Amino acid sequence: MNPVRVETPISPEAIAGLHVGDFLEISGVIYAGRDAVLPKIVAMSDAELAARGIHLEGSVIFHTAVSVAGVGPTTSSKLEIEESIAPLSARGVRIHLGKGRLKADTVQALHAHGSLFAVTTPSTALLTDRILSTEVAAFPELGMEALYRVRVDRIPAVVAILHGNSIFEQQTQRG
Amino acid sequence: MGISSEKIREATAEALVRAGSSFTPGLRAAYARALEVETDERSLWAMRQFLENADVAERRTLPLCDDTGIPHVLLEVGEFAEFGGAQLGAITEGIAEGLRRLPGRPMAVLGDELQRIEQSQGLSLHSEDVIPPAFSVKRIPGDRVRITVLLLGGGPEIRAKTYRIFHKHRMETVVDEVAQWGIEAVRELGCTPAVVAVGLGRTHFEATSLMLEAMARGDLERQTPLELQITEKINAGGSGPLGLGGRVSVLATLVNIGPQRASGVRIASVRTCCGIEPRRATVEVG
Repeated sequence: MNPVRVETPISPEAIAGLHVGDFLEISGVIYAGRDAVLPKIVAMSDAELAARGIHLEGSVIFHTAVSVAGVGPTTSSKLEIEESIAPLSARGVRIHLGKGRLKADTVQALHAHGSLFAVTTPSTALLTDRILSTEVAAFPELGMEALYRVRVDRIPAVVAILHGNSIFEQQTQRG
Repeated sequence: MGISSEKIREATAEALVRAGSSFTPGLRAAYARALEVETDERSLWAMRQFLENADVAERRTLPLCDDTGIPHVLLEVGEFAEFGGAQLGAITEGIAEGLRRLPGRPMAVLGDELQRIEQSQGLSLHSEDVIPPAFSVKRIPGDRVRITVLLLGGGPEIRAKTYRIFHKHRMETVVDEVAQWGIEAVRELGCTPAVVAVGLGRTHFEATSLMLEAMARGDLERQTPLELQITEKINAGGSGPLGLGGRVSVLATLVNIGPQRASGVRIASVRTCCGIEPRRATVEVG
């Protein structure tokens, strides 16, 4: 395996050159958020986000809590998380990083906006040295479920959904 | 007097940290078996990530997963053990201490009953506020107590199912139904390969208790023909680790069958534990 290295901000061209099944290593400043905060981010305007220093164009959102226990992917098909994927892709989020199968509507929405869904293992201990810094970006009252700005170095992942194709549906067809 | 509360507190804390930061030998053996049969590149990558993560977690005493789970306790009390309310309190204190040390994820929801459901008052900042549910208690021979701490992650709880099966007086019917639930669960669960824990009993409470006991006591190294059959049927679905495809969606199955009711119905509780589970550790104090 030769992972493709991607660094934020990520261009649409960089996404266009990738394929389902590719190994990735993600570096740069990414955002971390999950069930409680993602609907709030969807409801905010670009201007409101910019006032907090949050820029979605070319960004990565990692579906995780951030706490003293570390980080690790949560289930992305939880309703509030999956419902955020289409609107946030439309506003420039290029990679949604989490785990688990997503619905056909979400697969199509990712395709329409030129974004992808990647999965990673729950490797909290392994990721410890790859998380360089964390800070709350918005909604600190949500504790571990706030939106965090996280500087990361080579988080490993696999492209699961891209260009209208889902690795999960391929497995179902094989099975 | 009775068994030293201080010993119980310390042993429970130690068990919680061990459960949250290391693989049992049985889980390592199950991965070793899986790596021998797997050929898919992505599946191999994912399973090696799980093992490498466990190595780092154990060496540096770090949480295996940031979802450090809800602590559950299986308590086995010797028939001659001097054990009472003070010692029960010491177990609860040991759980809190273990969560401070691991550290556990601060995910206790604040507020009254309705506020907790809506999560409108935010979260506690303290790891130790994640309190365990009621303990499962059994009597064993001897004069010691055996405390097993289990940490149950949230992902498997989304997919776990306790429901009735019309068995038609054939074990095969039960196996097929359980395997079908397992196939559906591993397709959705992001953190496979799974260990499937199964409890078969008369009531929903009993089936779930038996399933929990399967997680606590089940043998991942010596699988029964029934357990192997369920594993093989789910693996034939082809989901693979993380749903990326491959031969290994399930590492092993742990089945615990209790008393049964004279009826055409069995109650099954099936939990597809994620690839770092069962997170369990047992200590004996006496």
